[in-house]
Amino acid sequence: MTSLTHASLPGTQKATASLIEICSVRVGETLFGVAISHIVEIVGSARPQPVPLAPAFVAGLMHYRGEVLTTVSLRELLGLPRLERPQDILVVESSGGCFGLLVDSVGEVLTVSCQDFEANPSTLNEYRKGLFAGAYKLKGSLLVMLDPERLDPLRLSPEIAA
Amino acid sequence: MLHLSDKTLECFLLGLFTSGGGMDEMDELTREFLIESQEGLDRMELGLTDLEQRPNDTALLADIFRSVHTIKGTTGFLGFRRLETLAHAGENLLGLLRDGKLAANGPIVTGLLQLLDGLRSILRTIEADDHEGNGSDTDLILKLEKLHDPATHVKAAATPRLKRSARARSGTAALADKPALAESCAQVPMTPAALPARVRNTPASSLVLAPAADLSPNLVKEAVVSRPRMAFNSAAESTLRVDVALLNRMMNLVGELVLTRNQVLKATAADPNLTMLSRRLDMVTADLREAVMKARMQPVSNVFSKVPRMVRDLSEMLNRRVRLLMEGQETELDKSLLEAIKDPLTHAVRNALDHGIEPPEVRVATGKDPEGTLKLSAMQQGSYVIIEVCDDGAGIAVDKVRDKAIERGLLTAERAAQQSERELLQILFVPGFSTAAAITNVSGRGVGMDVVRTNVEKIGGKVEIESNAGHGTTLRMRIPLTLAIVPALIVRSVGQSFALPQGALSELVHVSQDQAASTIEWIEDAPLYRLRGKLLPLVFLDRMLMPTATSPTRNGDTFIAILDAEGRRFGLVVDGLADPEEIVVKPLSATIKRIGLYSGATVLGSGDLALILDPGAIALKAGIAMEVEQEREVATSTDPMAFAGKDTKYLVVEVAGRQAAVPLNEVLRIEQLPVSRIEYSRSRPVLNFDGEIVPVEDVGGVLLSARDKPSRQIIVVVCRAGDRHVGIVVSHVLDVAAGGDLHEAGSAQLSEGVTVLKNRVTDIIDLGMVVAFQGCQCAANEPTQLVEKIQ
Repeated sequence: MTSLTHASLPGTQKATASLIEICSVRVGETLFGVAISHIVEIVGSARPQPVPLAPAFVAGLMHYRGEVLTTVSLRELLGLPRLERPQDILVVESSGGCFGLLVDSVGEVLTVSCQDFEANPSTLNEYRKGLFAGAYKLKGSLLVMLDPERLDPLRLSPEIAA
Repeated sequence: MLHLSDKTLECFLLGLFTSGGGMDEMDELTREFLIESQEGLDRMELGLTDLEQRPNDTALLADIFRSVHTIKGTTGFLGFRRLETLAHAGENLLGLLRDGKLAANGPIVTGLLQLLDGLRSILRTIEADDHEGNGSDTDLILKLEKLHDPATHVKAAATPRLKRSARARSGTAALADKPALAESCAQVPMTPAALPARVRNTPASSLVLAPAADLSPNLVKEAVVSRPRMAFNSAAESTLRVDVALLNRMMNLVGELVLTRNQVLKATAADPNLTMLSRRLDMVTADLREAVMKARMQPVSNVFSKVPRMVRDLSEMLNRRVRLLMEGQETELDKSLLEAIKDPLTHAVRNALDHGIEPPEVRVATGKDPEGTLKLSAMQQGSYVIIEVCDDGAGIAVDKVRDKAIERGLLTAERAAQQSERELLQILFVPGFSTAAAITNVSGRGVGMDVVRTNVEKIGGKVEIESNAGHGTTLRMRIPLTLAIVPALIVRSVGQSFALPQGALSELVHVSQDQAASTIEWIEDAPLYRLRGKLLPLVFLDRMLMPTATSPTRNGDTFIAILDAEGRRFGLVVDGLADPEEIVVKPLSATIKRIGLYSGATVLGSGDLALILDPGAIALKAGIAMEVEQEREVATSTDPMAFAGKDTKYLVVEVAGRQAAVPLNEVLRIEQLPVSRIEYSRSRPVLNFDGEIVPVEDVGGVLLSARDKPSRQIIVVVCRAGDRHVGIVVSHVLDVAAGGDLHEAGSAQLSEGVTVLKNRVTDIIDLGMVVAFQGCQCAANEPTQLVEKIQ
């Protein structure tokens, strides 16, 4: 499972040896990362339009280049309290199409080596194991990898309690 | 033209020579061949059904012949032997018909239709698997050969002559090719007398195959020559095939451009330097949007063209004699909508033949023409296309429908007694009513009628059925011109904007804050509103959307939107109304769709997103029962103002002590505001609505009399007049009433006519005239003049 997820991360082609570029994002206290190749666009300080009766993890709808995208709130997924200020949205691509990922803020792009990747620790609860794809060991901190496939609103069941 | 043909020919030859080398070119060629052949076969199908009516139409025969001939010619060098053999067999038969050696009759047309199906199925196989499949067409070919047979028809030398004429058609180049001609003739039995016998005795495939195979070099030439000519015929040079996905994308981008334009217009409104520029942007965007919409439009004939064949097959199967009439085939409809009405139309035609039109002997017994008539018509009415399927069959026995409905508990006996025939017929659309047992009792009508309704309503249309027992049935579908852009009313609730499709909206009720408590009544926790004496269930949008929120404290006015969705009638209570807007519908992700209340989203002029509410789903969720009767207040009301059967509705207003009426469908909204809100531009009264200027017409001099009292409240009815909006100042809004057609043309200049509403003679305000007056540069005292004219 681990190696499979790992292999599916882009940037692991022979040409770039074992370096991949990751966009770092922050939600609460944790530093997360999304592979650059999954990101279509970064939309700064956005307020998605809320959708009454939608599952809690749906932050709302956003208008992106003529399409209406569903936005997933990472905060809600992690059970963190809602922020009242505008946040950043990553427009990401999964096999099911594009969707928005609402994060607190988008940080810099980091280049990391595959050798620093490790799978989810066994002590992590099952729910989070389902959300996270593993972690990269950075100098002095950890970068938790997010895989758009796992966060696609279609895959997230409406019942999950954040 | 000639030059172009040469060039096409060159390109084509080039393609031919290089095709052996590159697989890609070959594929391209095959694809093109497939598309062209399909089109040819579609034309042929239409032609064949026509042929039955006009068996001697030589032009028609030539056209059908050409379709098959082109397929045969092209397949020859693409190497599709099976297709070629079959097409050749058909061509032989068609040749006899075209040369008048044989007259087209039922069996021949049936045979040719089977040929068509055979060719189609091979083409489908090629499309799917890139080869022709291994099926055998011997039976079909034999059948076609047999059709040559009626000894009286087959002239001895038919086949050789056919060959020659076919070649003659394909140009002098082929004619000059004498050795080839001789060769081909040599392949065909030369003894005239021997031919009919051989046709009967020889296994058909070998007979047909031999000349075809040997002729392939000529066939290539035929194909080459026939291509440019075909292009000339179908004007292929001026048209282009475009992927629908690309058109969808263009539509999307244009929608985007419209939004950007709206924002640019807002941002530059204050800057005089940019006015010209932004106005130009505005114009170009509007034109572009129209052009892209137009590109998506297709004539309904694309769907209608399938009907003749269907009618033919069905009437043969069901033993009916049917004359098919089609009208308004050139009416255009959005491509996706055209797809969506295919099934409902098929259902309707099937029903009309199966249960509508009686067998000939029954018709004769009832004194009708043994041949029934099925009429399909399409016409545009405003932003809708009306499609009618009309038969002169047995009609529907309304009392049987009523009995069945009462028996099944869909209707109480006393209510049924009050209903008109037309209302009772709507029961046919109730799902479950159309189950088999019900059908046979009720002369069968109703198979899948709920499917028809569901499909049509899904695309924002409406269906109704009218029947005259013994004289026929008409099924009418009202289809919006385009799906992409829908007129909608923007409403506000829970602090957000929502779009409500206008198709479902029948009227709006304004409830002011102090009225709210007395107007909305409750039975336990079910809110109700008395609409002209009848109780109407209400749904609070905010409670539905936020069920967990504590009982909402409502400040300010509320509005009730009275909706009619899939036979469910209810009032939706919202906090506010904004202008109606033409919205561009954007699809939602599955996650949001699953909620079930929204049918899409849209971007408003302000740049904000708004969810589009699905009135049918809201009604379902709120448990609003299907109301079978429609427009009950018109039919069952004892109020003398209601004219049964006439459904033009008017907004009845009082202007300067007189009753006047405005056609309800032109009314956009009714505003109550202080006189101080009226501003004057070049001494003409205007209203400023969120940056939009609406000219105000003071017909009754209400404004003049209130000039010195800026706080006095006046009522302005904002109407649509052509493509403009105009406000009319009135003293009171009285009611909504149905009025009869105009009784006589009024002499008053402002009144288009007069009608009787609420037992009083009422002037109908002619909005066109109002705008005309607005247009000319009149003096400030004009309103008084108008008053004189109206009175």
